[in-house]
Amino acid sequence: MDSEARLTRALAADAAPARDPAFMIAVMQGAERARFRADLAGTVLRGAGVAAAIAALAVPLGSWAAANAEALQTGLGGAVGLIALVAATRIMTQRAAAAWAR
Amino acid sequence: MTPDDEARLIAAARRGDGRAFASLVGAHQQAVRGFLRRFTGHWADADDIAQEAFVTAWRKLAHFEGRSRFRSWVSGIAFRIARDARRTHGRSTVRDTQWSAEQGEGEANAPLEDRIALANAMAALPEDQRAAVALCLGEGFSHSEAAEVLKLPLGTVKSHVTRGRERLLRTLEETHG
Repeated sequence: MDSEARLTRALAADAAPARDPAFMIAVMQGAERARFRADLAGTVLRGAGVAAAIAALAVPLGSWAAANAEALQTGLGGAVGLIALVAATRIMTQRAAAAWAR
Repeated sequence: MTPDDEARLIAAARRGDGRAFASLVGAHQQAVRGFLRRFTGHWADADDIAQEAFVTAWRKLAHFEGRSRFRSWVSGIAFRIARDARRTHGRSTVRDTQWSAEQGEGEANAPLEDRIALANAMAALPEDQRAAVALCLGEGFSHSEAAEVLKLPLGTVKSHVTRGRERLLRTLEETHG
């Protein structure tokens, strides 16, 4: 056998199998772990972002509320009244529309 | 697998379809693992690196632009992982005795002394030359495909393959046969 043929055969001896279910399973398990880690990292980052935003807003909001307690009470009362008015209007409109449809 | 089939599977895998990605792995694992076995000279390391390369490909699939074939892209990832692992962890280039236990598992039952001589000659080749030989002579990649994998100029890859092949042939000629 000439050197060329010997080289070809020796190189072919290192060939990987055409099908290897164990390797496939190992890769897919690794891929699933990678996906889980990426999802987890995304969730943690989003949570940390929201927590940081709340913490950043809490301090100035707290000091502002303390300094303007009276105005805040009036504002909150007005807001609650406004929400109640909107809700009542909506309910009455819906009932009127239903009666009109009949 | 036709290029159209491959493109369809890549698009599906990008949308998170694990079965499509598994089909891609099944179609290309032989080429990637074969290349790594010859490049690293160590089957177990080669399979670990191949696994890592496919998982990296899954994570970075959104970055695959489709300018090269999928197997070239994954082989490139695998080559860089293998090269970095060798540099940072000093993975041995010496083959272990695994091949003697697995002798005959390959498609061609080459004589053991040729396999030993080839393993030693491959280990002695410079890194890029060994990779070019493993891709082109071992796995039948074209020179241009190997150039994409190794990120080397086409002429350099051609010269690596020619010189590497000459050195391997010389080694086999010097070996009793």
